[in-house]
Amino acid sequence: MNHFRLWALFASLACTMNGTALAAGDKDAILQRGAHVATEVCNACHSLKYLKYSDFLKLGFTKQQVDVMRGDRNMGDPLIAQMAPGDALTAFGIVPPDLSLMAKAREGGVGYIDSMITGFYTAANGNTDNHVFPGIKMPDILGISQADPASRKALLVKAKDVSTFLGWAADPMAEARENLGYAVMAYVFVLTVLLYLLKRKIWGRLEWSTPGLH
Amino acid sequence: MKKMIAWIDARFPLTHFIKHELTDYPTPRNLSYWWGFGFLAGFVLVIQLVTGIFLAMHYKADSNLAFDSVQHIMRDVNYGWLIRYLHSTGASAFFAVIYIHMARTLYYGSYRRPRELLWWTGQGLLLLMMATAFMGYLLPWGQMSYWGATVITNLFSATPIIGDQIVIWLRGGFAVDDPTLTRFFSMHYLFPFLISAAAVIHLIALHTVRSSNPSGLNFADKDNIPFHPYFTIKDLFGLGVFMLVYFGIVFFDPELVIDVTNNIPANPMQTPADIVPEWYFLPFYAILRAVPDLIGGVVAMALSVLIFAALPYLDRSRISGGAIYRPVYRTMFYVFIVDIFVLGYVGAHPPESDLKVVGEVATAIYFSTFLLLPFLSRWEEGYLLKIGLPVEVMEMTQKEIEEAR
Repeated sequence: MNHFRLWALFASLACTMNGTALAAGDKDAILQRGAHVATEVCNACHSLKYLKYSDFLKLGFTKQQVDVMRGDRNMGDPLIAQMAPGDALTAFGIVPPDLSLMAKAREGGVGYIDSMITGFYTAANGNTDNHVFPGIKMPDILGISQADPASRKALLVKAKDVSTFLGWAADPMAEARENLGYAVMAYVFVLTVLLYLLKRKIWGRLEWSTPGLH
Repeated sequence: MKKMIAWIDARFPLTHFIKHELTDYPTPRNLSYWWGFGFLAGFVLVIQLVTGIFLAMHYKADSNLAFDSVQHIMRDVNYGWLIRYLHSTGASAFFAVIYIHMARTLYYGSYRRPRELLWWTGQGLLLLMMATAFMGYLLPWGQMSYWGATVITNLFSATPIIGDQIVIWLRGGFAVDDPTLTRFFSMHYLFPFLISAAAVIHLIALHTVRSSNPSGLNFADKDNIPFHPYFTIKDLFGLGVFMLVYFGIVFFDPELVIDVTNNIPANPMQTPADIVPEWYFLPFYAILRAVPDLIGGVVAMALSVLIFAALPYLDRSRISGGAIYRPVYRTMFYVFIVDIFVLGYVGAHPPESDLKVVGEVATAIYFSTFLLLPFLSRWEEGYLLKIGLPVEVMEMTQKEIEEAR
């Protein structure tokens, strides 16, 4: 439905072939840092209800590390917001939306989230506003609008980490899906080539008595 | 084994059926790959049935649980993501395959005498498919599911006098809600059985009149070849190519055919900025919006789908071979295809100033294609007979004219 996505798909396939994609270790490190930001910052107000604490084990966290993250919650519990929805309604005038599918629920996905959380600025009237989402009710939680150039750089990395993590949270099966996809595509490709050769062989038996029917 | 088959054959025409309708079924040898899309549609139907049955084992048709149960399928069910993406991509694949199948019918004039019933059973299949797809789209209970169902059920309020009652009856209440979801789920499970039965009827009609072919000529027996192995292998190769595209989307960009807004749970209190149907309904949606008043729009949209049934009578040319020997018809075909893409683009975007005009013009072109066809096709026939055609085509055409008397 979206031409851009098709091109992005080809581009990402090309990148994978060139070996420019992130090494598995780097990716896990980013996701782990992002998971910390998500549980320590985002989860204060936002739920991530389709994630369970046990899901963090899939990112390479040890059981002890997850125990620290979950506090007195159970391993199989969903990540509901720390703040009660009623309190959030009083504080912000809105219940903060669940984040577990956010990377799939906005045009632009991970890139949108990254731009949004780094899009805060101080407007002329002294209020904080957002370039991507004007009038947003969420506060500038990373403090990007107040940051000096040096600390801003670190915040941008932090934003990238957490948006990458939210991309994983929205589609945790993506890696398994793509890995299976390569095997399926290779199998079907070889099968199709063989079927084509067989088709030529079988059709070669025919004599074309009537001219012009080819 | 041989004895067992003989035992069955004495009581049921098994061997006869396989021989006459499958292996030895006489097929024109010049069928191109464009004739393989009916087989592909059958394949996708089976995929949809099988994946649908497994999805229904884990899905909850309850407005409080539906959205969560889809995420349960995506995250917790073994290979649930695969089953769901095969099904969601399969819906789009089904329409893509069917639209190409229909375009082939239009180009080669396969709807013409004696294949009217074949064409009409196909039309019935298309309507059943559209209803099934529409009801299935409500099930994930996302924002677009909810608002799409609201907009489309609301169209029935255009019915004179009892319009509002019909809308309430369809929804099971004043608004789309839990009763709507449960009945849509029930119907979404029922309709595929109707589609399967209609597909069998479509095939019976096909095997009565046999396949048309690119030349438009009726073939002597020597030019027909047995379906097996020639077309089994040709269709299987086509299936391989189809699977490369289909699995490419399923495994590498499955959300391509899912609107991002549908990953937000349904919220009756919040209308999305833009309510857009699935890509396969966009041209019809553009026609609906091109007519300013509701009743007119609904009539135009219904007509835009149903008018295909009139083609055997609108096309009055008796020149065989579809568009190949008919330059006017060929031009009309290509203009029509481009027009559908334009309508699709218009349907996907908010109807603002310029685009609104484009939609209106494209709608006018859509219907004038059908309305001009009776006159242009008869005029074209006379013109072509005057300037002359290849001998075999001329003979066939004379025969057609004789038979039509």
